[in-house]
Amino acid sequence: MEKRRAAVTGIGVVSPLGNSADELYRNLAANRSGIRAMTRWHDYFGRDIAGAPVELDPAAVRKISRKVRRTMGNTALFAGIAAQEAVAQSGLEPEFFTSGRMGCIIGSTVGSPSSMTEACVAEHEGRRNDLSACHFFRLMSHSSSFNVADMFGINGPQLSTNSACASGLQALGAALELIQLGKVDAVLAGGADESTPLVASSFQLLYALAEEESPEPERLSRPFDAARTGLVCAEGAGVLVVEEMEHARKRGAQILFEIVGYATNCSGWHVSHSDELQIANCMRGALADAGIAPGEVDYVCAHATGTKVGDAAEAAACRAVFGSEVPVSSLKGHLGHTLGASGALELAAVYGMMRDGVVFPTRNLENVEDCAGILLPREIREQKVRICLKNSIAFGGVNASLVCRSVD
Amino acid sequence: MDHETIVKTVNSIFIERFELDESELTPEKTIMGDLQLDSLDLVDMIVGLQQKFGIMLRDNPEVRSVRTLGDVYALFEKLAKEHPEIEANIR
Repeated sequence: MEKRRAAVTGIGVVSPLGNSADELYRNLAANRSGIRAMTRWHDYFGRDIAGAPVELDPAAVRKISRKVRRTMGNTALFAGIAAQEAVAQSGLEPEFFTSGRMGCIIGSTVGSPSSMTEACVAEHEGRRNDLSACHFFRLMSHSSSFNVADMFGINGPQLSTNSACASGLQALGAALELIQLGKVDAVLAGGADESTPLVASSFQLLYALAEEESPEPERLSRPFDAARTGLVCAEGAGVLVVEEMEHARKRGAQILFEIVGYATNCSGWHVSHSDELQIANCMRGALADAGIAPGEVDYVCAHATGTKVGDAAEAAACRAVFGSEVPVSSLKGHLGHTLGASGALELAAVYGMMRDGVVFPTRNLENVEDCAGILLPREIREQKVRICLKNSIAFGGVNASLVCRSVD
Repeated sequence: MDHETIVKTVNSIFIERFELDESELTPEKTIMGDLQLDSLDLVDMIVGLQQKFGIMLRDNPEVRSVRTLGDVYALFEKLAKEHPEIEANIR
């Protein structure tokens, strides 16, 4: 039986480099950084460590009705605003959302770390009764997914792929599979995450955070670079409308790109060590799912966050699968690590690269030592990007790879 | 505590928590009908009243029978007489 095909017809983004897909892309193209010194975290860390926060326009927040917004922590709020952009671009009619043929799959590491902290502090201070009736809904794991579904009246399948940094890409993979199975005709899919001092300190405890104070915080996130010291915590959301191809064509939707393959696996042996063999197997699995050979891939949008071990493992996996001919870059040098949002959010930039025939470099990449043997552009590179593979690699040993194809 | 203070304090919850305009807050308005609060909002109304007046309401059966904004004002007129310390609690 021929598989149903999945088109992307809408993209929405909330990010440290802008709260629209266009703004994000323009800032990446201009090599800007969303990373800054987090002076508001100074008391927590005793110094100004780097972070990449989102700045929301209060007017954009108020566009979400109070009765939906009340159950949203910041994570769901980011997802909701991104979803609004994606839906607007897709042109899907409101009647379709309530047809039972539209799904919503949005993942995040946790429901909302800031809401969780508020609840714990209230409990510790004996103020449990001061918490809003809506508070638990903000911190539930599937908060982004059900809140976004409620925003649009979506009443098809609602799932939440809560797998840390692989959340967004697993959501897109699950959307692809639901469409292929014929269960839905479209899905709002993606990931979202907040960055708080507690989140950053979770990485700090593991010596995975670029935590030095620097007069140039924008240079601290340096995936693949020999001098990399860890990741910079960021936040945001990426939400895409993934739609069955014929359904999109029949209504005259603009097809942005096609999702042609997906795989996910895990290392099965360690919760925090990246496993180059399983990362390679995941990429090969996604390519096999797409029926595409490694030599046909034009660009790999890496996960690489700037950690010593993680970047080296992913580089080794890329070397094994693609050799040294396919350009590989990570957008986390510009953006920091948007955690559960990263897979879907960075695909917004990948779409722009496919559309414009460019590959963005890894920002701050100067010297390569342990990540050698793969093609790591240092400047914007003009080239046709027809096939792209996107990776996400997460705590828990989770890997996810998505293969996308441009529309000719 | 005078009536005006009670009205102002109660209304502040509806303005701050439920984003209602002061002009909408008149005594005859029904909380769930005219003001469009739902069951989740009613719980938050109780939480807000507790915080503002510094008095526990969760187990008070009378709070569950309020229907209009005027009912809320009347409830606090009664509670203020029974608990004069409420006036000092208003934050």
